[in-house]
Amino acid sequence: MRVELDNLSKAWDGVVGADRITLEVADGEMVAFLGPSGCGKTTTLLMVAGIYRPTGGTISFDGRVVNEVAPKDRGIGMVFQSYALYPHMTVFGNISYPLRLKRLEKGEIRKRVEQVADMMGIGDLLDRRIAQLSGGQQQRVSLGRALVKEPQLLLFDEPLSNLDARLRLAMRGEIKRLQNDLGITSIYVTHDQVEAMTMADKIAVMSKGVLQAYDIPEALYDRPKTLFVAGFVGNPPMNFFDVEVMLLGGEFHAKNESLDLIVPDDRAAKAAAKEGRVVMGVRPEDVDVADDSSPRVEGLTLSAKVEVVEPLGREDLLGVVVGGVNVRLLVDKTKRAKPGDLVDLVFNMDNVQFFDPETEESLLWA
Amino acid sequence: MTITEATPPHHSTSPFPKVREKMGRRFAYGFLILSIAPILVGYSWLVIATFSIRTEGLLPRNAEGGIGGFTLSNWAFITDDAVWNAMLNSFLIAVTMVIGVGVASTAGGYALSRMKFAGRKVFLTGTLVLHAFKAEMLLIAIFFVLRWLGGIPLIGGFIGFNSVGGVALVMIALELPLGIWLMKGFFDNLPWDMERAALIDGASRFRVWWQIMLPQVRPGLAALSLFTFISGWNAYLVPFTFTVGTRVANMPVFLSQLISDTAPTNWNLVAAVGMFQMIPLIIFFIFTQELLLNIYAGGSKGT
Amino acid sequence: MTQPLEKEAQAGAAAGTSGVPRRTLLRRVRSTATAYGFLVPTMALVLTFFVIPGILLLILSFTNLASVNFGDPWNFIGFANFERLFTDRFFPKILRNTVFYVFTTLILFNLGLALVLAIVTTNIPRRAGFFFRLVWLLPRLTPSVVYILMWRRIGQAEPYGIYNQLFPEFLGASGGNLFLGGSPWTFVILTNGFVGASFGMIIFTSALLSIPEDLLTAAKVDGASAWRIIRDIKLPLIKWPLLFIATYQTLSLLTSFEYILLLTEGGPGLFTTEVWALTAYKRAFATYAGNSQWAFGATWAIVLVTVALFFAVIYVKLFKFDELVEEPRIDNL
Repeated sequence: MRVELDNLSKAWDGVVGADRITLEVADGEMVAFLGPSGCGKTTTLLMVAGIYRPTGGTISFDGRVVNEVAPKDRGIGMVFQSYALYPHMTVFGNISYPLRLKRLEKGEIRKRVEQVADMMGIGDLLDRRIAQLSGGQQQRVSLGRALVKEPQLLLFDEPLSNLDARLRLAMRGEIKRLQNDLGITSIYVTHDQVEAMTMADKIAVMSKGVLQAYDIPEALYDRPKTLFVAGFVGNPPMNFFDVEVMLLGGEFHAKNESLDLIVPDDRAAKAAAKEGRVVMGVRPEDVDVADDSSPRVEGLTLSAKVEVVEPLGREDLLGVVVGGVNVRLLVDKTKRAKPGDLVDLVFNMDNVQFFDPETEESLLWA
Repeated sequence: MTITEATPPHHSTSPFPKVREKMGRRFAYGFLILSIAPILVGYSWLVIATFSIRTEGLLPRNAEGGIGGFTLSNWAFITDDAVWNAMLNSFLIAVTMVIGVGVASTAGGYALSRMKFAGRKVFLTGTLVLHAFKAEMLLIAIFFVLRWLGGIPLIGGFIGFNSVGGVALVMIALELPLGIWLMKGFFDNLPWDMERAALIDGASRFRVWWQIMLPQVRPGLAALSLFTFISGWNAYLVPFTFTVGTRVANMPVFLSQLISDTAPTNWNLVAAVGMFQMIPLIIFFIFTQELLLNIYAGGSKGT
Repeated sequence: MTQPLEKEAQAGAAAGTSGVPRRTLLRRVRSTATAYGFLVPTMALVLTFFVIPGILLLILSFTNLASVNFGDPWNFIGFANFERLFTDRFFPKILRNTVFYVFTTLILFNLGLALVLAIVTTNIPRRAGFFFRLVWLLPRLTPSVVYILMWRRIGQAEPYGIYNQLFPEFLGASGGNLFLGGSPWTFVILTNGFVGASFGMIIFTSALLSIPEDLLTAAKVDGASAWRIIRDIKLPLIKWPLLFIATYQTLSLLTSFEYILLLTEGGPGLFTTEVWALTAYKRAFATYAGNSQWAFGATWAIVLVTVALFFAVIYVKLFKFDELVEEPRIDNL
């Protein structure tokens, strides 16, 4: 089913939950709503579910406006962070509840529940009480309950947040596989960007009720359209510098009081067109500590003092200070950097980003 | 009732912690026992009097004026139909109240806690005001309302003045603000996602209430029912005001009639009847202690 | 897709273009109607036993309705009842009694003893504290008639009275009937106070127990004595429950008269322990010389109702009302 949100808004007594969200989810696609808590992603999802009534804009399923359609008539299944299972019913009671409400025939109900339960690997738990299940099992029941009525749209509200790390990883793959196999259009709300990046075909990044970007995961990472997206997507986050971009001796330089770096022409030209200072963004993996393997390059090297070293196992996350700005960089642990070391930083400027400091929009991908 | 000694108290900061603590503890127990003494004395008298010919102070006296005079004769009323009639009336009032308050409070509390509708704020304010307000002051006017209800053809005889139903109805109304408030609180604590899930699964709001939410507030409903039953069972002022004679008298009214009608009052008989009336309360007191303390914290009426 | 969706969708789409969508309006009316459906039993009961009686009481206070002229049409007499009330020979005495009764009981028992009990029972082992609080619940649990029966027995004249037997010639013991002789007020306040104290005790206890243990530990580490902890930490932290109990119980005491009715009936003698609420009740229902003065009783009651409403408003304000009216998080479609 194709889902279109057109200027969808929700406000309570002047407090805006979602502000003119416009996007389209193609049939069979899995879309993630990504953002920090309170960004409006769950509000938007609940409007799609029919739990919240929009205060503006429309929601369409396959081209038909469903704003005033009750949740039960929308053909949706939903999985909640808290699982939202009915504690006074058994597993069978929970999964069969949507079918019982439809007054399906008993044999048919049992057949469909067993089919879904087998698919979820909980076929032997049907007579259990909810309280006797582990978190992972509860989430499977919840997924089974959403799937049993054969919905045309699946909604996920942070379904993995309450699981421990290992289980989360396993369920992530499982939900993705299931969604692929069944081809059900899905919307997946999460604050975890890894979850969004790995599972979704497209990601809608939201902040303060506003849709910041809506694109495929690679594009969000490589071509962030706003400062917020650039800072939010990617972990550890992008480093930002206030610089002025200018043409000096045939080369573009990004300059401020403490740094002077040469920028590739194609990106710099757009940044230079903007008067005054701009925000330059460099990802932690695009900064390295100079040594034999990554030699100093004239115009791309700065010296700085290491303040913090956080070993991440495979790599070290270094915190250095450049002109009063904290900069984070990921370096190979063989570099053995220690706090207090004076090091030379080598910048890879091929992926550099530039943003307008006032509008916070990208100067490259507007 | 068993008291198992458990957790040690807070640490003391005194230089002689053990001694001071022990003193303080003794003082605390002394104070508590002394303060509740009148109630313990009252209950002791009730038990002693119930099985005595007569009492002087707390001492049972036999016919010769010595200590003694144990008897079961005070319990002869057990064979009296009037007592059982009063017992039945008490029971009917209490059970009707449990049902009435239960239905109205769970439905009303759910709507106030969980539904959006025009006028919700007015209802919430109103419930809270009524919760504080004491309806005893309206008894005079309720008297006329009951007389009018009694005039309704067919059902009037069951819900009007001088009927068990009428008393129960007034009592339901008196307990209702507390009941709604209590149930609203219980519904407030339920997760929204569960209700949302049920709506998406295809349930109507009524079905969500009945099949999904009500089972979750069963402990709350049990507490409210216990509270309502006790206040119905103990009801004195309303049945005393709105009933005449012995036919519709409940136990407390029957007992008060027993005290005032017979002169000189047979106190030992009165004690036995009072004791008899307290049997269900004693059972509750022994078996539902935690619940009792909790519901009375939920906002009791009365002084 | 199911059929209803199709119908709704068309309606919604059609509505989208024209100002206030009719379909939407209909939906909203319907969802409000659903809520009112849940409230039908409540509304019926409140209307019958609160709203109508309230209005009726007001109307009654302007008539001269009594059992002697019950058959006649209602006869409106203006403010005559109010004039009669305020010029009543015993009006000052009843007013004094009421104020004395309410504040003495409130301060000594419903607040004072309640607070002491809460503090003491939370400073002894948990099970013991629980046990004593439970015993303190007994007066409230006991049927009023039986409860008063016990107190009457305690204050009875010799040789039956328990107090007279235990403490002859001590603290007002005279050998005679104490609640109808020696010290009726003591007994009125004791009977009400023993019931009233338990409510505050329970509320204060839960407030005291909800004080984070860390805070008390910190105070102890700082060297505060048990008394200082109570004064400097516990009491300030239960300020709101204290205020709540104060208003709630003031109103309760002001309007309750059941125990006084059973114990002294306002006596002994003329209006010795009679309080406002009891006067209202007795004028209307106790048949002096075969006449129930309903209208005059209503006049006493309506004055009390006005005061009670005033207290109820304060009570609502104290309840942090805004938190309670938090919007439900489901829009009924």
